[in-house]
Amino acid sequence: MDLLNQIIRQPVDPDYAVAAAREHEPPRGRWALTVLAMIIGALFAVAALQTTRTAPALELERTELINRVRNAEGEQDQLQGRVTSLTQEIATLRAAALGDDDAAHSLEARIDALDPVVGNVGVAGPGVLIVVDDSPSATAEARDRVLDIDLQVLANGLWEAGAEAISINGHRLSNLTAIRGAGDAITVDYRSLTRPYRVEAIGDPRTLQARFVESLAGAWWNDLAQNRQMRYEISDVKQLDLAADPGIVLRHAGRATS
Amino acid sequence: MIPLLGLLAGIVLGIVLEPSIPQVLQPYLPIAIVAAMDALFGAFRAYLEGTFTDRVFVVSFISNVLIAAAIVYVGDQIGVGSQLATGVVVVLGIRIFTNAAAIRRALFHA
Repeated sequence: MDLLNQIIRQPVDPDYAVAAAREHEPPRGRWALTVLAMIIGALFAVAALQTTRTAPALELERTELINRVRNAEGEQDQLQGRVTSLTQEIATLRAAALGDDDAAHSLEARIDALDPVVGNVGVAGPGVLIVVDDSPSATAEARDRVLDIDLQVLANGLWEAGAEAISINGHRLSNLTAIRGAGDAITVDYRSLTRPYRVEAIGDPRTLQARFVESLAGAWWNDLAQNRQMRYEISDVKQLDLAADPGIVLRHAGRATS
Repeated sequence: MIPLLGLLAGIVLGIVLEPSIPQVLQPYLPIAIVAAMDALFGAFRAYLEGTFTDRVFVVSFISNVLIAAAIVYVGDQIGVGSQLATGVVVVLGIRIFTNAAAIRRALFHA
């Protein structure tokens, strides 16, 4: 604090007083003063010009970046569509290749049984719809907003309650799906979500909701809704249609050679 | 009067000629301007108190600008450039406000 006090107490260069205490010199250096004043003026003008000049450039850069992100997102959508159509093609080719004998039939039956479980094909059925959102007063506090861990807890609670398929905002969850926070947004399958978050889960319509509410996740969300005023609506739905997860691929695991 | 005219002439010259600052020096321009403002306010206060001297003003201005820019430059080299720039702005800002208050008291007796 001493430093600040000294700055406040002695804001003028002490040299002025020293020079004035000496005998009064005849005024000289007028020219230096004038030149310096001009330099200062030019400094102000140049800085102001530069700041106003770069403002539109920054704005341009920003919009360009936004456009690039949009383009990339469109491209991603297109590629995912292609993945879906190629997956269908694989299914028809596989059916053709397997042929018509008994072993092929049992293999196909196993594939048909496993595909919906892992999320490889779209599924439909009764279940629950849970809509969650940030609290309306969520301006500053991050704790009043839905975080990635809240959605993780929600999804895990649904699995625990016996859900057979879950999707968040249309993104089907598989056992390879990551729910993560990235900056301000929550991503599922590395795609950012927009609020509000609609979590759809297919499961036994008689028990799914009750079991979820009684689970740890239900308590977690009850707490968020009551203490943080987050939106948390849970309702039974007779018919839900969940799309396939287009991102299912094994990157490292291969078929075991026996 | 002469410095005021010089200031105006400088502003006009700067706008008309639009000299381009080298890219290397650009980050130090705002800091130099804050240092210049501090020198200006200090000079005006000294003038009101009757102790103004051209030579002191010229020397103090140049050294202020150079030291402020040097502090930020060194900070940039060791990775605390923006923090040191903040420090310079805070210190010079306090001086500017104190001097402005003294000038106001001297001019308006309020």
